[in-house]
Amino acid sequence: MPLFEEDPAHLSKSRLRSDLVAHNVALPPAQSRKEVYVGLHLKHIEQKNGADFSSDEEDQDKEEDRGNAEIPDPSCLTDDDLKAALLKHGVKAGPIVATTRALYEKKLRKLLQPDGDVGLVNGAEKDVLYSDSEEEEEGTTLSSEGAEEETVEQSEQAAQESSQMERRRSHSTSADTEQELNRSNVQEHWSQANGVSSAPILDTLTTKNQSPYYTPKASPFKRGMKPPLEPVKDTFKDIFPDTHATPTGIYATCRKPIKGAAGRPVLYGYPESPVSPTTLERQEVERRIVPFKIQILVFLIVVVLLYFINVCVEDSSFAPFVALLDSLNPISDAEDGLLLQAETQDTPALSGQE
Amino acid sequence: MSSTSQKHRDFVAEPMGEKGVMALAGIGEVLGKRLEEKGFDKAYVVLGQFLVLKKDEELFRDWLKDTCGANSKQQGDCYGCLKEWCDAFL
Repeated sequence: MPLFEEDPAHLSKSRLRSDLVAHNVALPPAQSRKEVYVGLHLKHIEQKNGADFSSDEEDQDKEEDRGNAEIPDPSCLTDDDLKAALLKHGVKAGPIVATTRALYEKKLRKLLQPDGDVGLVNGAEKDVLYSDSEEEEEGTTLSSEGAEEETVEQSEQAAQESSQMERRRSHSTSADTEQELNRSNVQEHWSQANGVSSAPILDTLTTKNQSPYYTPKASPFKRGMKPPLEPVKDTFKDIFPDTHATPTGIYATCRKPIKGAAGRPVLYGYPESPVSPTTLERQEVERRIVPFKIQILVFLIVVVLLYFINVCVEDSSFAPFVALLDSLNPISDAEDGLLLQAETQDTPALSGQE
Repeated sequence: MSSTSQKHRDFVAEPMGEKGVMALAGIGEVLGKRLEEKGFDKAYVVLGQFLVLKKDEELFRDWLKDTCGANSKQQGDCYGCLKEWCDAFL
């Protein structure tokens, strides 16, 4: 429904206000009555719209019309209006302050750009550029448009994305931010190209209650149910051997979570987490503990052995051992005595000879 | 991308305190200078911007690009580092 068909008298005062602001019309004093707004609205905006819809824009929808009307200056909006305008496009804006305003204006401008211009030609290229997170965000804006269709589209697209992503990882995600706003359009094309043929099959194979419960916010969950999607793709391939799932003719492979795709850092879970000095120390200590135990064991074994030897010596072999010692002693004594005698005998002889 | 930089790990490992803006992953000499010129001299000022953008990746990346001309990788590094820091300490 084009904007100019709405009777300005039926619009709310705040709406009139924001419309006037959007058309660069000086606002009347804040206390003015609604009629004043309506008058201004009729005077400025109706005329403008009449001029705008001369020929080629007549078939465009209401939102786009408003978009075109607002394109000249998101910067003229007040903070609140800017926020409201963003909300209309499904973007939940944060606080609009000095440092963020420019960004939100830019975003609104992007959202307002008519997305009918970009066609199927660029669709495949663009899909490559989107990472998971961007896809989720897109899902938010699209959430109002039939959730079931969307599920099919997204899974289809995601699968294709991953295959392309693997080949063209060098592409940077943020390369073309303006393309992002054309995603919805791209997805529509997807639904035309692939969704139509694949939707029934996917529907029969995926459980019925997934689609109604699907919300873009739950996309981590979506990633969780990727594995079941693989057989789906296979059956799809089996049933339609001639169908090309993607414009490039490449069938999607099983989608694995793309960690840090396209130059982004991995956000969660690192394969090897950095080791802190304390853990290193502990590891060092642990490495030492095992030999230490063995040392103790060896020490104990040695102690036990010594003890047994001691016991044995005291018990059985003590007596013979002592006996042996005793038997040795007298002999040595006797020998000593003989030697002494011999010496004493020798010395006088020697002295006698001299 | 299999791992993160040493700078990232250092930043994420502890509260940022009074660290300068160059302590952020992805922000080197040049970008740090530019950010400082615009008043973002400490890492926590950038964190403030990050938070006021509601941790939105796209907006933050855009902001970083507009503010200091960071390239895609630098944007990603900086975003990832702040995101993870927030997950850990916020």
